[in-house]
Amino acid sequence: MRVTAGVAGVVLMGVGVWSLLYGAAPQDPWPVVRWLAGAVVVHDGIVAPLTLAVGWAVTRLPARRVVRGTLLVMAGLTAVAYPVLFRPGPRQNASVLPLDYGRNWAVVMAVTVLVGVGVGWLRWWRRGRPRR
Amino acid sequence: MEAAGRGVMGDMKRPRPPLRGLRGLPCFPVLSGRLHDARTATAIGRWLGAALAVCFVTGLVSHYEQHPPAWLPNSLPSRPAWGYRLRQGLHVASGTAAVPLLLAKLWAVYPRLFVWPPLRSVRHALERLSVAVLVATALLELFTGLLNAAQWYPWPFSFVPVHFALAWVLTGSLLLHVAVKAPEIRAHWRRRSPGTLSLPAEDAVDRRALLGALGAAVGAVTVTTAGQSFPPLSRLDLLAPRHPGHGPQGLPVNRTAALAGVNAQTVQGWRLRVDGPRPYALSLDELRELPQEDVELPIACVEGWSKSARWTGVRIRDLLDRAGAPPGALIRVTSLERHGAYRVMVMPHTYARDPLTLLALRLNGEELSFDHGHPARIIAPNRPGVLQTKWVARLEVL
Repeated sequence: MRVTAGVAGVVLMGVGVWSLLYGAAPQDPWPVVRWLAGAVVVHDGIVAPLTLAVGWAVTRLPARRVVRGTLLVMAGLTAVAYPVLFRPGPRQNASVLPLDYGRNWAVVMAVTVLVGVGVGWLRWWRRGRPRR
Repeated sequence: MEAAGRGVMGDMKRPRPPLRGLRGLPCFPVLSGRLHDARTATAIGRWLGAALAVCFVTGLVSHYEQHPPAWLPNSLPSRPAWGYRLRQGLHVASGTAAVPLLLAKLWAVYPRLFVWPPLRSVRHALERLSVAVLVATALLELFTGLLNAAQWYPWPFSFVPVHFALAWVLTGSLLLHVAVKAPEIRAHWRRRSPGTLSLPAEDAVDRRALLGALGAAVGAVTVTTAGQSFPPLSRLDLLAPRHPGHGPQGLPVNRTAALAGVNAQTVQGWRLRVDGPRPYALSLDELRELPQEDVELPIACVEGWSKSARWTGVRIRDLLDRAGAPPGALIRVTSLERHGAYRVMVMPHTYARDPLTLLALRLNGEELSFDHGHPARIIAPNRPGVLQTKWVARLEVL
């Protein structure tokens, strides 16, 4: 079973590489390889260390679980909103990116913080003391 | 400060050094391994695996619907009418949900990047290589997918073939990773699995809090984006690249008439040509005289947005019957636009013969606007938006 799954995995990877090089629209592989490597460098070199640093700081706070959870939701929302917030250049038409994303992002951040504060307060109130 | 905090807060967690040098790399500080453990990785990994599996399958089906390969017979099903809408909505929603999951998963396993020695054996080297491929393709797939939905293309390659090829590499390397890690996954599958029990018990509360927060993050990104295709959530659609209420005649568009080079001048004296055993041509007024049908069908784009609308027009099958087309014939539809990848569309007989498939003249009770394909457009059930040809000039029986 394990071996079958592993072999199937290698075959699927082969299909992908074949499709890139010889598929319906063959691509020059080097730009793709550069972007793949770049994605790892940006994540492992910048995003992950920053996350660890923030996480390390948060463990020193009271109510650290609630704070961490709130930051995690905020980070997830910001990562997903990144393209609509920062896409440069003119839009193809007015129905592409039609909303005020800066305002909407601020609203969801504020709501997340309020929910976080609410959850933290609820826990403190239930236990009669702050929870870490 | 840690010790004082423990006293005041009554915290029971084990004491822990704030920083720990790595063996062999004493100058590189890394956090101690709290929650960077196999149970956390397994718990996040299976959610991420499920999201990526849904994303791969829905994406693959949608891809073959949009670019039918030569070996696929003239028989893609035209029902259910909402099929493509559901599949592509799920594709984008599962990919979006995978963003916080992937970042959390990589955070959980990050210390393993610095294992010492970096390579122990050929097997270990191959395993690390496969993980590198998995991480790189997962990051780039989600990144390109997310940016494509916002029509942002900063990369020097073409999106569709690369996103398609990397999806196979990602799924393959994920399968290989699960196969390699199967014993560890099994040992940490449940809270009471042997591997989980061997981890520090005081981490369990922390881990549950982390997983709960991650679930909240997945929920938050889903409810703030899924409204672009799922009407009950449209009021919470705050961060998606499209909003169902925005667009000409209340319906989003991708290719405008201006972009396609179609305007009042282009359509002057327009006649629909239908070529078959008994060819004919009809003016817009003559089309309006034919029996009109009302259908409720969605426009669903590969970018993930969709919206249902009421379309009025002439059944394609009535037009084909009048030209004497055989029931199993493929149909070629040509648009007025001069260029564009989807100027010519080929329609399998399953769609052409479906009573819901129309040459639409009206949208929600109004004359079609130019941006929605005036004077006439195709609307068919269960098909990608780019194949709902606008500004139709000609139908041909092949």
